[in-house]
Formats: sequence, C-alpha cells, structure tokens
Amino acid sequence: MILSELLDSPVHDDEGRRLGFVVDVRLALDGPVLGLLASPRVVGLLVSPHTGTSFLGYERREDQRPAVLGRLLRWRHRGTFLVQWSDVTLVDDGAVRLAPGYRRWSATLRRTTS
Amino acid sequence: MKKLLGVALGVLTAIGGFLDIGDLVTNAVVGSRFGLSLAWVVVVGIVGICLFAQMSGRVAAVSGRATFEIIRERLGPRAAGANLVASLLITVLTLTAEIGGVALALQLASSVEPRLWIPVAALGVWIVIWRAKFSIMENVTGLVGLALVVFAVSVFLLDPDWSELGHQALQPRVPASEDHATYWYYAIALFGAAMTPYEVFFFSSGAVEERWTAKDIGQSRINVLIGFPLGGLLSVAIAACAAIVFLPAQVQVDSLSQIVLPVALAGGKLALAVVIVGIVAATFGAALETGLSTGYTLAQFLGWSWGKFRRPASGARFHLTMIVALVAAVGILMTSVDPIKVTEFSVVFSAIALPLTYLPILVVANDREYMGAHVNGRVTNAFGLVYLVIVLVASVAAIPLMMWTGAGA
Amino acid sequence: MSRVRRRALPFPADEPREELPPPEGLVLDARLHLLDRQVLDVDGRPVATVDDLELTTPDGGEHVDGGDDAVVRALLSGPVLGTRIFGGRPPVSRWHRIGWPDVVEVGTVMRLGVRGDGLDVLWVERWIRDHVVGRIPGGRHDPE
Repeated sequence: MILSELLDSPVHDDEGRRLGFVVDVRLALDGPVLGLLASPRVVGLLVSPHTGTSFLGYERREDQRPAVLGRLLRWRHRGTFLVQWSDVTLVDDGAVRLAPGYRRWSATLRRTTS
Repeated sequence: MKKLLGVALGVLTAIGGFLDIGDLVTNAVVGSRFGLSLAWVVVVGIVGICLFAQMSGRVAAVSGRATFEIIRERLGPRAAGANLVASLLITVLTLTAEIGGVALALQLASSVEPRLWIPVAALGVWIVIWRAKFSIMENVTGLVGLALVVFAVSVFLLDPDWSELGHQALQPRVPASEDHATYWYYAIALFGAAMTPYEVFFFSSGAVEERWTAKDIGQSRINVLIGFPLGGLLSVAIAACAAIVFLPAQVQVDSLSQIVLPVALAGGKLALAVVIVGIVAATFGAALETGLSTGYTLAQFLGWSWGKFRRPASGARFHLTMIVALVAAVGILMTSVDPIKVTEFSVVFSAIALPLTYLPILVVANDREYMGAHVNGRVTNAFGLVYLVIVLVASVAAIPLMMWTGAGA
Repeated sequence: MSRVRRRALPFPADEPREELPPPEGLVLDARLHLLDRQVLDVDGRPVATVDDLELTTPDGGEHVDGGDDAVVRALLSGPVLGTRIFGGRPPVSRWHRIGWPDVVEVGTVMRLGVRGDGLDVLWVERWIRDHVVGRIPGGRHDPE
C-alpha cells in the first residue's frame, strides 16, 4: 500500500457516520531494525473535518508561532483527533472504517528529539 | 580592515545588483505619469523585500534549505506544483525581459538592431552561468551596476523644483490626468517590481551556494538593510528623473531611450555612457539571477542536484533546465515583442504570485526544527503578518485592476 | 478540498482528549515530516524528493489491512508524484524505491548511508550527464 492511498480518505465509524478525513499518519520509529534506523511503524491516523491547511501542522503543536496564525488554524481544525491503528478495522480503496468503541486521542504531537 | 572591505563589498554589490529592468521601466513609467506620488509604494516594497530576503537568507543559512525546497515541504506537492508553474512562467518572463533589456541597452550604445544583440546577450548569460564562479559573477555585475547612481546625480543636475517633488512624494495625490484605478494598478506593479519573487529564490539559493552558516547572518543583514534601501532610493531617483522631464510635458515613457533621456540632458554624453554601462551590467546581472532561478526552482521542487558550486556534470538536469529557459527567452524575444511591454507584465504577475512564496518562508522562519534558536522574534513576526496581509491584498486586487484599467492604459 | 460539517460530527469538536502514551522511539507524522523532504546521499548530494511512502506488513507483505501491523518499507520517488497530485496509483514497477535500510538520518532532510550513483532513482540525471551536459565543452570542469 502506498501512503497517498490513505491520505485524504474519508473516515467512518462502525455505524457508517462520517468522522472526517485522514490528514496524516502518525509513525513511531520502533519497528524492526533493518539498516541503521528502526523502521517507522504506523501508530495511528490523524482525522480532521477538513483536508485543507492541516499540512502546516499548526493544529498539532502547541507552541508554533506566529501565535495569531497558530490560534486561527487550531480553531479552524478543532475536531481533529488521533485514532490508534489498532482501532482501524477496514482499509478499503477510498475509505477507512473504525472499530466500535474506538477511542479519540489528542492530535498533539510531542516530538522526542533523536 | 579586510572585514570592513568585505562588508563594503557586500553592501555595494547589494545596491548595484538591486535594480533590474523591472525597476527601471516601472519607476520611469510611474514617474512620467504620476510624478513622485507613488514613491510611498517603493518604501513599502523595500521594507517588504528586506523582511522577506532577511527571513529566507536566515532560513537558508541556519537550515541549509533554499526557498523552493521549503515551499514544497510546507505546501505539499499540489499547491507547490501550482506555485512552481506560476513561478517558472514568471521567472522565464522576467528572464526574457532582462535579456531584452540587455539588448536594448546595447542598441543604445551601438545603434545595432536589438534582434542581433539578443542571441549574443543570451549566449553571454549562458557562458557566465556555465563557467564563472558564483561570487565573482555577483561581485562584478553588482559593482558595475553601481554606475546607475548617475540617475541620482542627474536629479541634482537637472535642478528641479524640490518643493514640488517633495509635495508629490509626501502628500500623494492622484494626478488630474489619471484615474484612481490606474493609480492603484501602478501601485501594485511598483510593489511587484520591488518584491520580485525571483530575488528571494536567488538570495536563499545563493546563501546555500556560498555555504552560509549562522555566522553569516550578521553580514547578510547589513547587506540587506543598507543595500536594499539605497537601491530603493535609486529607484525613486529614476522616477524623479522621469517626473522632472516627462511629467510636465505629459509624455508617457515607453522606451529605454526615453528612460535615459533625463540623464543625457543632465550630464551629456559622458553621463549617457555611464548610464548605459550601468543598465547593461544591471540587466545582465539580473538575467544571470533569473536564469539561475529557473534552474533553482525546478531542481529544488523535484529534488535534483543543483548549484553553481558543483561542476555542470554534477547538476546535469539543473543546467539543462537553464539552457532550455534561455532558448525559450530568445525565442520569445525574436518575435520582436517589445521587451518593455514584457517587463510591465512580468512585474504585475510577480505581485500576483507573491503570497504562495511568502507564506511558507514565514512559517518555516518560525519553526524551531529548522531554525533552532534563530526563529523569528516578535517584531519580525509582527511585520511578517502585516506584510502577509499586504501581499495577499495586492495579489487579489491585481487581476481585476488589470482588466479594469486595460493593463494601465 | 473536502470537508465534513462540524455539527454533523457524532462527537463534540471541542471535547478534551488525552494524549496517547508516547511510544518508544522518535514520533513523527508522515505528511508533515517525511513527505516532500529532500533525500541526500552519503556525500550530501541531492538524490530525490520523497514523493510517497511504501507501507507493508513487518514481514514485507504488500497488502495491509486494518489491524495488521504496518511499517514504512521504502521511500518512493518519481511518477508517484503525478498520481499524488491527480489521483491514482502507478504500477509498482515504475516506482523508484529507496529502501528504508539505506536511511541513516531523519531530520529536515533525509540522509542515506549509500552513494547516489548506484541508485535507480538517479538514472535520468546520469543519462543527461552522459549524453547532453557532459558533451558540451567545460561541462566536466569545476567553475572558475
């Protein structure tokens, strides 16, 4: 599967209700070590009501400046959440379905610097 | 002492390299029709380009990333792709105008038809891009371009009515012979001439070419904050010359010979020779910059190896792009299109494309992962946000005004 | 650009949400940190831009379904850019792959531990070098 097949896909819960779109895929470098670095393992999907300006990443970081822009974009993307990969039951061409009882986590990204 | 010389060189090169055919033509046209009543736009544009160049230079020095690489990283391929197409078209258009400018200036010097000079100029540009070292290229064209100071000298020699000039500049009013829409159209054109996007692509790629590090930020700040405003002062001098000579006679400037006429009137044959040398150097230098910028933008978007610091064989696609761009520019010019007209369009389209280039730089200049401790301070961000609004307004207003006024007719 | 009306969402947009306990290792977001990044080889020469990522199961299986563990196996470059902008998916044989084992650093650029010369993704560059640029006088010399 290639990543762009996931990005911008609509996301539904198990009852078919629309939750938003996949705007990003959260990875952690804790997969099998094949070369020097551990492989990035899919941790979860970031789901947002818009696919628009989330590429700037302001809705996921608390301290991004300029502050005015940050506040504006965070407000625009409220409703963005992270869902764990284990809560994803179906990845089909064009749509993602979540398991019943899935949990919404905060989209905030705290990077541990390497 | 050596350091002082280095600083001086940097500043002088910045002043001499600041003007290009866009500034020459737009300021002269504006001077002949509006006097100095649009001089405030030059001030706004200069502050803007200083801000923009400083941010992108700092980003390039600290993170090692040039502008177009960042545009793609930040905007994603779709928006950046649209930006690329627009930027390439405008840069090639500007390149065409610059080579046309070189040919026109050589015509003034030699009375040989410009169409014969065009391939010569393009070949000259290519040879320099192919073989010359980056810093030598910049320093030579920048220093010789300082000859354009003769415009400022001419303003004094023409003994103008200073109170009238001051009145026009400090209390701007739309002249009776023009209407408001045209006034604002030319305001946008002048803004686009000062804040040319290619300048920023070139500046930040040049920072990577010359291997700037955080230590070089100080020097670059001096070059920009002293050099650019003085270059802007020269722009206003060009407008003033045109205002003194052509405004009273209600003649609109539309050829290079008219642009240099005030200088010839002020200082005779010697001044004319100096100004022609200056124009050749400035437009040739700008042709080098825009030519390189076509290579920089495409190579940085697609991830190719680029840079004049590498031998051409190590940047094959980069050099091929520039060869193609030069051939295209020559092709356009050989259709006998008026380079002055091409210039007038290129500055307006520059203003339209500006937001797409400006926003990613503002965002990255604030990103600690790229910049570490060198992120924008509060003052820079305050200015940055104000200019984001200005740039957006100019961009959105450009096309409607262009249609309304028939491109400033 | 697609959107869902916030009022139509089955949960409140402003609800407080906890942060997921951080996993081991560096955490990053694919689109924000990996896609569209420059890739440099071991000598610092630009190789390509990351146009897409190949996701497989940990043992290399191509078909990933929900619930299976998924890892990034390779960086992709090339014709994948066109399909990323316009949609669709080019056949696997047309992808230029840079396998994850070759990656040694992830930062504002991605660095490889190998030289670019051997990589498939640079074949156009080599071709133009050998057949066009290299043939023009001075092409193989340093600038002076």
